[in-house]
Amino acid sequence: MSEKNRDGKRTARERMQEERAAQEAKARRNKKLIVGGSVLAVIAVAAVVGVMVQNNRSKPETPVAAPAGTIGDKNLVIPVGSANAPSTLTVYEDPRCPACGAFEREFGPTIDQLEDQGKLFVNYHIVSFIDRAVPGKGSRYGANALGCAQDAGHFRDYHDVLYRNQPDETNDAFGNKATLIALAKPIPGLDTPAFQACVNDNAFSGWVSAVQQDFDKSNFKSTPTVLLNGGPVYPKMGTEEITPANLVKWVDAANQGKPLGTPGTNGQSPAPTSTASETNNPSPGTGG
Amino acid sequence: MAGQQDAPSHPHTATRPVGGALRRVADGPAGEWIGTVVRLALAVVWGWAGLAKISDPAEAAQAVRAYEILPESLVKPVGYALPFLEVALAVLLLIGLGVRVVAVVSALLLLTFIAGITSAWVRGISIDCGCFGGGGTVDASQTEYLQEILRDTGFLLLAAWLVYRPRTRLSADAWLAA
Repeated sequence: MSEKNRDGKRTARERMQEERAAQEAKARRNKKLIVGGSVLAVIAVAAVVGVMVQNNRSKPETPVAAPAGTIGDKNLVIPVGSANAPSTLTVYEDPRCPACGAFEREFGPTIDQLEDQGKLFVNYHIVSFIDRAVPGKGSRYGANALGCAQDAGHFRDYHDVLYRNQPDETNDAFGNKATLIALAKPIPGLDTPAFQACVNDNAFSGWVSAVQQDFDKSNFKSTPTVLLNGGPVYPKMGTEEITPANLVKWVDAANQGKPLGTPGTNGQSPAPTSTASETNNPSPGTGG
Repeated sequence: MAGQQDAPSHPHTATRPVGGALRRVADGPAGEWIGTVVRLALAVVWGWAGLAKISDPAEAAQAVRAYEILPESLVKPVGYALPFLEVALAVLLLIGLGVRVVAVVSALLLLTFIAGITSAWVRGISIDCGCFGGGGTVDASQTEYLQEILRDTGFLLLAAWLVYRPRTRLSADAWLAA
């Protein structure tokens, strides 16, 4: 009897202990669920906020301000030479890309000559993706300075000077705006307060970003990418290696039987027949 | 959390032939300090990865696009969200809140990255993983797929440790449990 009673008491105590343990376990579980849930919520909110913030911060793919005389449906392309020349050379270049520098130093004079003869219309896409791989701002600032030179009507000369003075890829000399401005000094009429302000204010940064995003979405992966009338010619056209002589030969072959274009003034754009727009460029450069 | 319940008492460890010592260390106070180090190390990894990518949205999007896995409509949302997600994981790890949940998310993310890099490697695409900023196409001679996979696998081990032993010193979790 008394045994049974003790038994009863023990089980009651045990039951109470078990109950308390179960309650504590439940509270612990709840706490864990709350913490886990809050953590997942924080992570989800971070992702959503990230998309919104970055969407706000990212530069539009259609630039609000493009350099005067640029062409193409979003004014991303800088034209040099006469627009009615029978052949078109399309060039994708990054100011910091060593292969672009090598290309320009080897082919620049030939290309200038073909432009001046009315044989070649050159379309430059100034991309700026080296900054992503090699720390610095030289690609973006350099591209902006090229846009400023285009705006002032001195793109070709400045472009040639820039690539002749290109630093090593790892040396971010073009990330220094004073360097970019100093390089304009030898070009008559370019080193103006307007140009300096344009470089210092990074005035065409939105345009630079838009040109880069256009390149990002293209099938082209590297610079220089060089196309003659839409077909790749760098480093080879078919099996033939590109050389200044071969480039002239290829252009002449493509131009055969076609009237030459009207040579511009030293190839400087804005080119006379440029479709430069209308919407984005209220005032064409006065320097050209 | 079941792994923790028998943590304080381990009468049978002596009979375990393999891993007994390691388990004793992992379960004991030293384990909680090891966990703290692992947690902070992983926080540094995520913080570094996130902050490196946060400044340039277009670059982050391009790093995603370069894998040629996601459709264009998803490239930007993923590229934009990832750095913030990584920073959020870093902060949560730093304060030690919900460590096991954060570690599981970390592990899943790292597995996704490893799968993405492996896929790029297998398909012969030449890209930088874009793990710590940068990213996009590189010259075929500059790809570092093996290093990138090994590195991410190392981070995955850190995350796995925290999934296994989420209880760490100097953490919000410990403070909440007290």
